[in-house]
Parts: sequence; C-alpha cells; structure tokens
Amino acid sequence: MNFEHCIRCTICVENCPVMRVNPDFPGPKQAGPDAQRFRSDREKAEDEWVLLCSQCKRCEMACPCGVEPARIILKAQQRYGLEHTHSLAHLLFANNYYLSALGSLTAPIANRFAATKIGKKIFAALRISTYIPFPKFRFRKLSWNKRTPNRRSRKVAFFYGCFINFYRPDIGKKIIQLLKSFNVDVVLPPQWCCGLPALGNGNLQLARNFALKNTASLSNYIDAGYDILYSCTSCGLCLLHDYQDIMDIPKAKKIAENTYDLHEYILKLVDDNYIKPQFQEVRRKLAYHIPCHLRALGIGYPAAKLMSMIPGLECEIIDDNCCGLSGSYGFKKSNEAAAIQIGNRAVARIKKTGAAAIVADCGSCRMQLGGISGLATLDPAEVLSEALGITLTKKK
Amino acid sequence: MSVTEYDVIILGAGVAGLTAGAFLAGRGFKVALVTSGEPTACLSTGCIDVCSRNNNPLAGIKALPAEHPFHLVPEKTIRESLDNFQAVMTYMGIPYTGAAEENRLVLSALGTFKTSCLVPSTMKAVPQDTKDSIHIITFAGLKDFYPSYILSRRKNAKFSVYDAGVSSTMGIASHFEEKEFLESFIDWLKGQNIVEDKIAFPAVLGLESADEIVQTIAAHIGKPVFEIPTIPPSMPGRRLFNALKDYFRKKGGDIYWEWPVIGVEKSGKIIEAVMTASTGRPNSINGKAFILATGSFVGGGLTAGRDSITENIFNLPVHSPGPRETWFENDYFSFNHGIGRAGIKVDSSLRPAESPWENIFVCGGILADTEILKNGCGHGLALATAHMAAQSCMEHIR
Repeated sequence: MNFEHCIRCTICVENCPVMRVNPDFPGPKQAGPDAQRFRSDREKAEDEWVLLCSQCKRCEMACPCGVEPARIILKAQQRYGLEHTHSLAHLLFANNYYLSALGSLTAPIANRFAATKIGKKIFAALRISTYIPFPKFRFRKLSWNKRTPNRRSRKVAFFYGCFINFYRPDIGKKIIQLLKSFNVDVVLPPQWCCGLPALGNGNLQLARNFALKNTASLSNYIDAGYDILYSCTSCGLCLLHDYQDIMDIPKAKKIAENTYDLHEYILKLVDDNYIKPQFQEVRRKLAYHIPCHLRALGIGYPAAKLMSMIPGLECEIIDDNCCGLSGSYGFKKSNEAAAIQIGNRAVARIKKTGAAAIVADCGSCRMQLGGISGLATLDPAEVLSEALGITLTKKK
Repeated sequence: MSVTEYDVIILGAGVAGLTAGAFLAGRGFKVALVTSGEPTACLSTGCIDVCSRNNNPLAGIKALPAEHPFHLVPEKTIRESLDNFQAVMTYMGIPYTGAAEENRLVLSALGTFKTSCLVPSTMKAVPQDTKDSIHIITFAGLKDFYPSYILSRRKNAKFSVYDAGVSSTMGIASHFEEKEFLESFIDWLKGQNIVEDKIAFPAVLGLESADEIVQTIAAHIGKPVFEIPTIPPSMPGRRLFNALKDYFRKKGGDIYWEWPVIGVEKSGKIIEAVMTASTGRPNSINGKAFILATGSFVGGGLTAGRDSITENIFNLPVHSPGPRETWFENDYFSFNHGIGRAGIKVDSSLRPAESPWENIFVCGGILADTEILKNGCGHGLALATAHMAAQSCMEHIR
C-alpha cells in the first residue's frame, strides 16, 4: 500500500521496539511514510538513521491502513547501502553464510579462537559486540538417510537454514525424525543462505544471488511434488515475502505458494486427518516468545496450537516484545545498547510468567533471550519431540 | 489453500471484537479473531464512555433517540458487560474505577474536563472540580503535552519538567517500568518540595504496570497522583488493548494479525468462510458464525466514497444519513455531523437488517445511529453490544 495512505495515527510508533530505547531513531512513522515524501531519486540518500531500524516489522503488523513502514525503510536502507561504503561489520554479516561455512568446517579451532582474548579484541576492532556469547559452530552438519519414498506418504523438502546447519544440527535432526514419525518423507534440497542477512546489511545484489540459487533448487522439488518446509521464521519470511516484494525474483510466487512453516504443516496434517499425534504428558511451564518474523508471516501461531495439545504443558504466549537481537542487528556495536535494553524488557516480561524455560521458533531470539536471562531455551520442535518421546540416537 | 475450522470468527480486534471473542472462548467455543491491523482502541484515552450526556449513564441511555442501538440491549446486559469488564481488568492488573450510575470527570491535556463512566485507576485521583491545587510533571521534549494549557484554565496549578533522557511517549513509559529509573525519578520528585494537593502526569507512567507505578509514586510523595490522557500514542489506550488481547488469548482464542479479508464464501443464507490476502497461499477461515466488529470509518469497517458508503467485509447494506450534503455540518467541531449516524442497521438479535445472512452478528462502532461523539458512548456501547452479539451468536450455534 502506498505511503500516502498513512493517516499518522502513531499505532506503528507504539509498536516500535527501537524507538523506545534509542532516541536517535525517529521511529517508523517518520523514517517510513513521513520521510518517504522527501526521498528523491535525484539526490543522494542522507538518512543514515534508517540503518537503526531492526526490521522487526512490528509496525507493518500494527498498521490499520495497510501502510508498510518497515518495507519503505528497508528500501531506504538498500538505497543508502548502494550510495555509501559499508562498515566492515555490515560486510561480514552480509556474508554470514560463507563465514559460517568456514567456521563450521574448522569448528574446534574457530570456536576456541572466538573465545580467546585476541578473538574478542578482533571482534571489538570490527565493532562487533559480544555481550552474549557468539553461537558455537558445529562440525557435523545436517544429513539425512535416503530411503525409497513410500508412494502414499507426503513429501517435503526441508529448508533448514544457516542457524540449524552451522550451529544446531541436532535440532534439524529432531525435526527430520519428528516428520518421519508422522509418516512424511523428508529430503534436504541443495540450498544456500536465504539472503536475509545480506538484505539486512544493505547488500541487495548478494541477497538476490542467494535467492536465485535457492529458487532454482526449490522450484525443482516443487515440480517433483514436494512441499517446502522451513523452521526458521526469518528464513520463511524472506522466502515468502522478500523474494517477491523486495528482490523481484522470478518464480518467487511459486515458492511462496508451496512453502510452509514446519508447525503450520504439522497442523495441516492434523486437520487433514493424516496424523493423530499421541502426545505424552509434559509437566512444564514454558514462556513462548513469539518471534517478530513469525508474527509478520501472518500464519497465526501454529506451534502454540500444537503445544496446547500436549497434556500438562503450560505455555504462556508473549507477543508484545521483540528480543532486540534481530539477526545480526544487535551484534553491531552501534546497536548494542538498544539491543540490550530491548532484550532486558523482553526478559523482564518473560520472568513475570515464572516459566523455567523459553520457547521460540527463531534461533537468534533464543540466543539473545537465553543469553540475557540465563534461562534454558527450546525450539518448539524440541518440545514436540519431547512429548512424542523422540530422542536422537547418538552416533559415535 | 490453508483452511482452518472454527465455531466463531470475530472480525476486528477492538474493544467489541475482543470482548465478544473472550465471552465465547470462555464458554468453550473455538474462536478465531481476524484483524488487518491494531484497533483504534489503542489511540483512545482508555476510558469507557457509556453515555456522557447525563450524570447517570444509565439514565442517559434511556433518553437516547429511539433508533439508538443501545436500546436493543437490556439494561441487565449493559450492567453485566460493565461489571464483567471491571472484573477482567482487575484480573489483568489494570483495574478500572467507576460505576454504571455515575459518570466521573477526567482532566484533559487542555485543562478541560472529559466525562466518562469507567476510568483507569491511574485517573482515579483526578480532582472532580477546580478546587484542588495540582502540580503537573511533564518531560523534556515530550510532544503535544503543554502544561500551560492547563495552567490557563486552572489558577491553582504549577508545573515542573523532568528530563527522562528520551522524549517519546513509549520511551518514557518504557523507562518507568525499570526500577532504577523509577527510584531516581522519585528522588528528583522529592527534591521538588511540591506543596500542591495533587500531582498530575501525562499518561506515560509505564506500559503494563501503570497502576503499581502510580501507587509507588503516591506512597513516596504522600500525595495523590493521577494521569492525564495524551493525544496518540496513548498509553491508557494501549494498556486497554493489550489487556483485552491477552485475556482473549488466556480464554483460548486465536488471533490472526494482518489478515485483511478479501473475499467471502457463502451458501444460501449462510456465510461459510472469509478469505484473506497473503503473499503465499490465500488463507480461508471457516466458521459457523461471524461477529462483525470492524468499527466505523477510522477503524476500517466502513468506507465512504463520493456519494455512497460501503461496508468492507460482507458488503452489507449501510444505513446512510442521507445525501452527501447532509453528512457534514459547516462547523468542523460540531457533534452533529450526519455521518455519525452511518452504519449497519440490525434486528433485535444484532443480525444485519435488510440482508439475508443468518449467521452474522454486528457490534460496536459499525452499528448505525450510534452518534458516538455526540453521545459519548464509544467503548461502553462496544462492551454492551459485544455481550449481546455473543449471546445471540451462542443461541444461533446451539
């Protein structure tokens, strides 16, 4: 919807987590629709403060008039990125995929090095914050056993994303086992970074390269009758929304039409009477932090519905707070103070519930909230696995 | 296409929609609420106006014109809806003060009084006349709150300015939730040696624990403290919305944010589903009954064209006050603009009149002949008609 549909009601302002803590950011209304009328193709972008937006998209969810402040700001960020030299931190995080691949390949060394004094000094010199520990690379990546697909079972191609692949392959394995227990055939299609980190760090070209490669790969699987599944809600948002809206990727519509959130898909299997999950009792109280990008996907909260079927499980939904990390946003020194303050607020709200652990679909939300609160964090798939008695068999 | 089945689909996340939703979800129905953004309730003062034309709101309602939708709701239901609202808000930690038989006064940012029925506890200590002296605390850089307006109307008022380090409403409110900030603020306030009877603040005292914050400040200073509603962003409006939303969810309701409805599936006299826009697959959400609580023009329920007014979801017939020249008076600030009567006419069970649909129930600001500005009956009418619509809906399903 056009920025001129803005009636200046300030509902977006009420929802902006950054504006609450960083007075330098003028907020979604001013940075989005208000400033848009002064942006001209013939003048160089001077609005450096657009980079302070973390792209949580809460403003877009809240707008009653269909204006998309975050999208307007994202475009301004791209424009600013094109016309100015990137900071080294932006450059590194845009290329997170390649760095992580390298880190994963050299996991034992990379992890140890990151924790040393010299490692920390290098991070500081690059203006990268370390207020929460950097996630640890895992050497063994995700793999799956090929098996002859049963002709009648449903088939999915799993877009596992960088977080699972490089840091938490164990969660990926649980998801694969979970789907298998539901009689769903899972394959892992060739895939690259979804492109969101590149997009968020002002590198549209790199993001498009990733998107084109992913689209080509996933499209083949769709043609072969597979549904595409993602479990990282930010990857999902990028595949479904940004490929079409921001990157103009041909075939993006086809990807969007055939791609499902993991829990949305499981819920669909339940609704279709394909499965009747027999959840065992789990006596726990959990706080379910809704990632901003799950909200922005507009699919409701499917994991919450599944978890509500688990007997004994108490799960309080909290969807008013951003965690503050927003992918690589909080890892930049310039955003550190804001990220910590936003995170503290989210954690204070979580602690009010008295829950012993935090559930969140998004890996970076878990890093941030776990790091600040000291509470255990879980992916919803881990909770479902627990309730279904699924454990990983350890390979030596 | 993703298809989801529910008993009741609520359209609109305002006071009416969330109240009807919680009512039904609390009675075991499977309820989904669909909204295309956050409601205008967020922009409101958070006060529940029932009928501001009379000191006694219930007597005021009796004197409303015969076609006013309040007359469709029995007095017992109106009382129940207000009692229930107060109980819910107390349970959610943002208690309200007031009674159905007597209106209260709320001080405005211009120094005038606004009349309302139920008000947030943070506005309980508002002086009900001009006798009490007040000391206003405002914040450096806070926009659109100028104590001088109040000072010009109240002889016995003074003000001080505190620098909170941030100047936005949300930023200041967010800081008040932090213990250290509150403590250093109270120290500063003690140093002001305030001699006036009461201390007034723009409504920025916290996001979710405002009641506690107001009480803490009052206890430390030893004087009553109250909030003055601001123009948006409005904290009391947001607290109201958040509490109703969280309560609806506690009762088991599902909320689908940012689901603009783009189509309707119907069969005979029954609406079967609404379809919503999405970048990926279109979503279709099935229900046995639908509660229309999308609000009027600003809320997005109605759209005015050059010469006609349309209802945006089911394309229901809209009662129009007359030809376009009757929509607006010449005086911009008049309470008598004809457009205030536009909306959906309903029968005694709040089904839309003059339309075939048996499973749509209408409540809140989208109803015809409300004249909300003139009668001062916004959120109160929303609560009462939401209860009524939910009851009719329940009878329909059974």
